[in-house]
Amino acid sequence: MAAGLDRPQVVSHAQQALNYTLFDCKWVPRSARLLCLGSAARGSGLLQLYELRGGRLALLREIEKAKPLKCGTFGATSLQQRYFATGDFGGNLNIWNLEAPEIPVYSVKGHKEIINSIDGVGGLGIGEGAPEIVTGSRDGTVKVWDPRQKDTPVANMEPVQGESKRDCWTVAFGNAYNQEERVVCAGYDNGDIKLFDLKTMSLRWETNIKNGVCSVEFDRKDVNMNKLVATSLEGKFHVFDMRTQHPTKGFASVSEKAQKSTIWQVRHLPQNRDIFMTSGGAGSLHLWKYEYPSQRSKKDSEGAEMGVAGSLSLLQNVTLSTQPISSLDWSPDKKGLCVCGAFDQTVRVLIVTKLNKI
Amino acid sequence: MPVWLREHRWRQTASAVYLSLPVRGLRVTPANIFCTDRYLKVSIPPFLFETILYAPIDDTNSTAKIGNGIIFFTLYKKEAAMWDSLTLANANKEKLQYLRENAVLKAHEKAKEETEAKKVTKQEHKKYALEATMKLEEAERKRIEDLKEKERQKVTKELELWKKQQDAAEKQKRVQKEGELHQEVEQLKEKKKEKNNKASIPNEGTSETRIKATKGCRGSYSMFSENLKEEQLPAPRSAATIKINFTSRVFPTALRESRVAEEEEWLRKQAEARRTINADLSELEDLKEEEKNPDWLKDKGNKMFATGNYLAAVNAYNLAVRLNNKLPLLYLNRAACHLKLRNLHKAIEDSSKALELLTPPVPDNENARVKAYVRRGTAFCQLELYTEGLQDYEAALKIDPKNKNIEKDAEKIRHLIQGTTQDC
Repeated sequence: MAAGLDRPQVVSHAQQALNYTLFDCKWVPRSARLLCLGSAARGSGLLQLYELRGGRLALLREIEKAKPLKCGTFGATSLQQRYFATGDFGGNLNIWNLEAPEIPVYSVKGHKEIINSIDGVGGLGIGEGAPEIVTGSRDGTVKVWDPRQKDTPVANMEPVQGESKRDCWTVAFGNAYNQEERVVCAGYDNGDIKLFDLKTMSLRWETNIKNGVCSVEFDRKDVNMNKLVATSLEGKFHVFDMRTQHPTKGFASVSEKAQKSTIWQVRHLPQNRDIFMTSGGAGSLHLWKYEYPSQRSKKDSEGAEMGVAGSLSLLQNVTLSTQPISSLDWSPDKKGLCVCGAFDQTVRVLIVTKLNKI
Repeated sequence: MPVWLREHRWRQTASAVYLSLPVRGLRVTPANIFCTDRYLKVSIPPFLFETILYAPIDDTNSTAKIGNGIIFFTLYKKEAAMWDSLTLANANKEKLQYLRENAVLKAHEKAKEETEAKKVTKQEHKKYALEATMKLEEAERKRIEDLKEKERQKVTKELELWKKQQDAAEKQKRVQKEGELHQEVEQLKEKKKEKNNKASIPNEGTSETRIKATKGCRGSYSMFSENLKEEQLPAPRSAATIKINFTSRVFPTALRESRVAEEEEWLRKQAEARRTINADLSELEDLKEEEKNPDWLKDKGNKMFATGNYLAAVNAYNLAVRLNNKLPLLYLNRAACHLKLRNLHKAIEDSSKALELLTPPVPDNENARVKAYVRRGTAFCQLELYTEGLQDYEAALKIDPKNKNIEKDAEKIRHLIQGTTQDC
């Protein structure tokens, strides 16, 4: 670990106090604008568009919707359209054109209960294949939607009849390196992590990390799946090496217990897939670097290939707030620029310096 | 009796008195010398030298030099005057005594004052040291803050620069796109003129809407390139469902919801219970192998209960209990048999034993506990101990509030109790 001021510093650039509960914040691609979404005190959903001007955030637009909004993504739109997909507390998936937000471009009541997490793939000029959106909900199902197909999901991962359902807390796309391959990873509140292969429509791998899984993310959605980070309650997170799958043992992993509280989010730096930031329930952010082992796979006693997990090093940590930081997003355009939203109703824009020297 | 030292010599100037006292062969330390402003004493047991001085001296500045078998005193007079003699002439015993005591007191006070002064100076020094360290730390902190500020400003400037670049790039793109659009619109118009003969109303309509849409929206540029791209994308996936199972646990709750400690205890007890074999094997040698297995015996007992052969079932359970007296289900089932046989006291005993073994109360043994309470309650009622019976029924209801039968029975018992009290 580099010493003192040679380490990356997390500099607070701008912050804005809001008068509603902030659940998610996302950068608008190819711009210095960001979207904050959440729930107003009167029980309606709010979507606010801010622009970064000088050291301040200037409010450009405010859009109010019927139901509180929980999560959103730009992942499945093209760079020209930049439509925003949101999941709300009523289980509705909507895709909005921010220029004309009165009527959604696509709308479906996808789930019976709140949509906890949403992810998109195939858009923004990243990756290949059809744009798709996946939503995970408290009703225990994970559904994949194609914006060209109305009302029915193109894939539905639901519990077997009679099985008591567990809340799905997080979803992520991965392995979308060509037009056919795609994989969805879902984390549940009982610690289950399930990997669904959409090409073969089957469950490819599952494991249980004992504590509820708050956030999963692949380091890159559009390459052959390389690493998966899963964060959970009680301050633990696991990094799985996804290149080698052993028939019984699954994927190799390294885990770290970093913060004493829940780790709410993990986000990889778009410009360097080995650096990621975790945000914690005590209002802290940790910046990590993953180092690969000298050999990524080895043979076990029966000759089957199994993966070797690498090691993690903490680059920097900073405490910004006393409340959990529930959402985090790196800007895809400027390296080191990120926005985080916390439950103290503040959105903060941060700059992480010296990432070039890592 | 002290030995007085009398061989002293002295001389004086206007301001000082020089006194030399030979102390041949004696070890003198500063502790042996005691001096106040009017009294001087040198005490090296058993030797003693003391004088009441003629006039007061400045005892803080006066010195005593010890060496070479002589103590050399330099006493500075308070008042510059010549003394007639070293000691006060007509000093009587009382005065001596008084002076001595006075001297001692004065010395004490002086010592006290000195310690006080020392304390004060010490405190001041400490304070000073503290302030100095605080200043140093402040300086260090400020230095770090300044560095951070500099970083911030640098980074902010970079960001602004980048933003300007972005804006410039966007403007350029927009201008470019608009230029392209105009070109394409021109092309379309030409094509329209060509197609005028054919029935191309749908085409016209769509192309017009396309133009309108692109002119109106700031964000979306060319719809034409969009359509082309769509054709390159694969068709939407054919819908499919994947059925999943969730990880099963002995207790199907997540770590944060389970009452792990109690459940662990329950599991451990069960495991132990299955392992105990506490029978006299000598008696049972003539039994077949399977007849020594408590589970097999329990099954046998259950079967006989089902066919109505209650005595045989009781026998089976008895043998099983002899082999392993820690399985609660054995007692539970035996209680049921006794109920049927109207051995009510035995039924109560067995249900109680079962309940004892069914601690700690966890969701896993809910069913068993409900049954135990119900059976004991029934036995009590049949013995006409209705209050105890009602208690047990209510306990059962608490565990399983949705069971209609238990509710009905509890109601009946309540009526019975009220009926009997009314009669009496």
